[in-house]
Parts: sequence; C-alpha cells; structure tokens
Amino acid sequence: MRNPAAAVVPHVKPAALVSALCWLGTALWQLPRNILIVLLMAYRKVISPLYGQVCRFFPSCSAYALEAITVHGAVKGSWLAARRLSRCHPWNAGGVDHVPAGHREWPEDRTPTIVVMNNPDKYLAAQSDGEGRFAA
Amino acid sequence: MFPFKWLVSAIMVGFHDGLSTIGLPAANGWTWTLSIIGLVLVIRAALIPVFVKQIKAQRGMQLLQPDLKKMQDKYKGKTDQLSRQAMAQEQMALYKKHGTNPFSACLPMLIQMPFFFALFQVLSGISTAKAGGQGIGAMSLEQVKQFDESSIFGAPLSASLLHGSTAGGEVAVWILSIVMILAMTASQFITQKQIMAKNMSEEAMASPFMKQQKMMLYILPIVFGVGGINFPIGVLIYWTTTNLWTMAQQFFVIRRMPTPGSPAAKALAERRAAKGLPALPLLGAKKADAEAAASASASAAAAVEARSQRVQPQRKNRKRK
Repeated sequence: MRNPAAAVVPHVKPAALVSALCWLGTALWQLPRNILIVLLMAYRKVISPLYGQVCRFFPSCSAYALEAITVHGAVKGSWLAARRLSRCHPWNAGGVDHVPAGHREWPEDRTPTIVVMNNPDKYLAAQSDGEGRFAA
Repeated sequence: MFPFKWLVSAIMVGFHDGLSTIGLPAANGWTWTLSIIGLVLVIRAALIPVFVKQIKAQRGMQLLQPDLKKMQDKYKGKTDQLSRQAMAQEQMALYKKHGTNPFSACLPMLIQMPFFFALFQVLSGISTAKAGGQGIGAMSLEQVKQFDESSIFGAPLSASLLHGSTAGGEVAVWILSIVMILAMTASQFITQKQIMAKNMSEEAMASPFMKQQKMMLYILPIVFGVGGINFPIGVLIYWTTTNLWTMAQQFFVIRRMPTPGSPAAKALAERRAAKGLPALPLLGAKKADAEAAASASASAAAAVEARSQRVQPQRKNRKRK
C-alpha cells in the first residue's frame, strides 16, 4: 500500500508530468474550438428557437457551423461556417448541403451528437443495420 | 462599421435636407425625428422584395403537396430525433428539386443588424463628436451640433435614460425613454403573438421548437426593455418605428396572404366563401378541394392511359408495392 503522504510531496514521476503537460497542451490547443462550441450550443438553445426555422438548407446554418467547428476545429470550421452563411440568402435555392468530411476520428459509440444529427441517412442506416443484426 | 455609419448618416442627412427645403425648421428635433423615420422606411422598403418572394414561395408549396404527403407517410410514426432529421433532410431536397423554399434564410434579419448598430454608434457618438469638433460619417460638424442641440418634448435625441444628457431635460428624457421602451416592446410582443396565434401551420405548431418559442415571447420584451435604458432616444425612435412597420406588414400578410394550413388561412377562406368568391386555388386552406382536384386529374390521366394501353393482369403476390 502506498503512503498517502507521498501524493502530497511535490515529487512527481516524469511520465505523469509529461502526460499532464500533454493534457494541458491539448486542452489549451482545443480551447478556442470548445469556446465556440459552447457559444454555438447556447445560441441554438436560446436564440435560434425565437425565429423558428428560417434556414433554406439542411443542416441549418447553426447546425452546420457547430459540426464544422467540431470536425474541423476553430479556424477552418469558422471559415466553412462563414462561407455557408454567405450562401444562405433568399436568392439561393437552398437544399441539402453537408459539411465536408474532416480528419478527426471518434470511437464508434462516441461520435458527437451534432455529427450524427446532421448525417441522418448515414447513421440511420448504421442504426437499422445494427438492429437487423440484433434481431437475427 | 464605417460604410454602414456613412450610409445611415447619409440617408438621414438626405431626408433632413429634403424636409428643410420644403419648409420644416432645420434645427428642430421633429425634423430629425422624421429623418430617422425616413431611414426606417428606406431600409424596410428595400426589404419588401424579400418578403414578397417568401410569400410567393409559401403559395408555391401547394404544388409539391402530393410529394410532401408521400414523404410524411414514409416517416409516419417515426418520432425519434434521427428519423426527424432524415425527414427534414429529405424535405429540403424536395424543395430544391421543385425550386421553391418556404424559408426566407436569416439574411433579412441579419441585414438590419449592421444598420441598427451603425445608427446606435452615430447617435451615441454625437456628443463626443461635437466636443471633438468633427463630423460623423456623412454628417458635417454643423449638423452634428444641430442634432445635439435638437430635442422633442424637451428631451435631446442623443440622450439615453442611463447616460442622461449634456443639454439638460432629465425628466423629459426619463419619461420619453420609458414610453418609447414600452411602445417598442409592446409592438414586438403583439407581432410575435399574432404570428403564433394565427399564422403558423399545424406542423409548425406541433414542432418541438414551439415551447421554447412561447417562452421567448415573454423573455424577449424583458431583454429589450432592459437594453432600452442604454439606447439614445433616436435609436428608440428607429426601433419603435421598425417594429410598427413589422406589425403592420404582419397584419396585412395575416389578412391577405396567410401561411397555408394556418388558422388565418382558414379565416380567409371563410371570408371569401361568405362573399361568394371562389377559394384561392393555390392557398392551403382548401386542402380537400386541391386533393379532390388532384385525384380527379389523376383518374382522368388513368382513363387516357387505359384507352391507349390495356393494363397487364398481374398475380396478386407479384404486385409491386
């Protein structure tokens, strides 16, 4: 059994230090992205319902922005979102307009909700496949 | 922000010059008030084509009603979020295919924002610009001075409830600000309430957003009421006028061109029936009629087909769905 006092002593194993620094670095690197994600989620929860549906596209502009920033990060995601907003005007016919695929990968059951919701055909097929297998 | 500030002040100065030439006193606060109202009229009139386009698109929806119904039947009973999303996606693809879209995009709402902020900056910057001895945007120093000194009911146009004014008239600013804030929030509340009570289709009413939207109906006036204490009188005039415009436009739309499938559309159909006028063919209120007409034309088409070619007999269990 380890001495509980040992944890208090500021003698940390170098491996733990490296992993802590790594974690901190990732958190800092991801900070702008995560701030934007929180802001967008707040907008979608509070302000967006005010107007009801106005967007001519699927996914809607805010859903597109949220997915783009989740998948591509703060810089490229914002750029994609800005381009989408400039496309969303009454003289564009609208329609289905998905976020281009990114490089980020997630474990199968931990795909962000927004990615699933924005690509219903893909994930609905996967879901019914799973159900089918389960039933068989 | 500069181009917007320039444009906003140029339109205001244009109206002010025009009103002065027809004999209104140039230094009077009411002349400047009318100039701000003129600015609202210009911006809102420029947005009319967008609204007309949207309303026409809503009417055009009737044409794709059969396809829409087919799609709704396909998703009948599937209430999980992912299926709803799949349905929304398919619906958008359908609109695109028919080249119509009932949604106006967020542009009409967003486009007013820079103008509003520009006006806010111009009006709240008047006193500083006067002290610094310079003009703002298209306003010359002389006009800035004139604006700063002009007032209505004794309240300077560039004063706000929170920041008072340099030219006095504190009580007048208080009373006028509060009256304007009440007018502004009331007109907004009435407009939103009218839309929700009369001009929403049944599908929109049943959507999960409705609850949040109802909540917002009450929260928003509070937000604007609190924000209003920071607005100069001139901005309050702008905001109230633009809200009144929206309200009038909405009343007109609800009465004459309601959303298909909404209570207002039913009311219009009843009014027309009472007057002995035929129902508007493309309006959703007379859904049953439209469906009857569609099935009649379908059976006619079937009859034509039957004449040209005999339908091949088929075993029951081979029949395609």
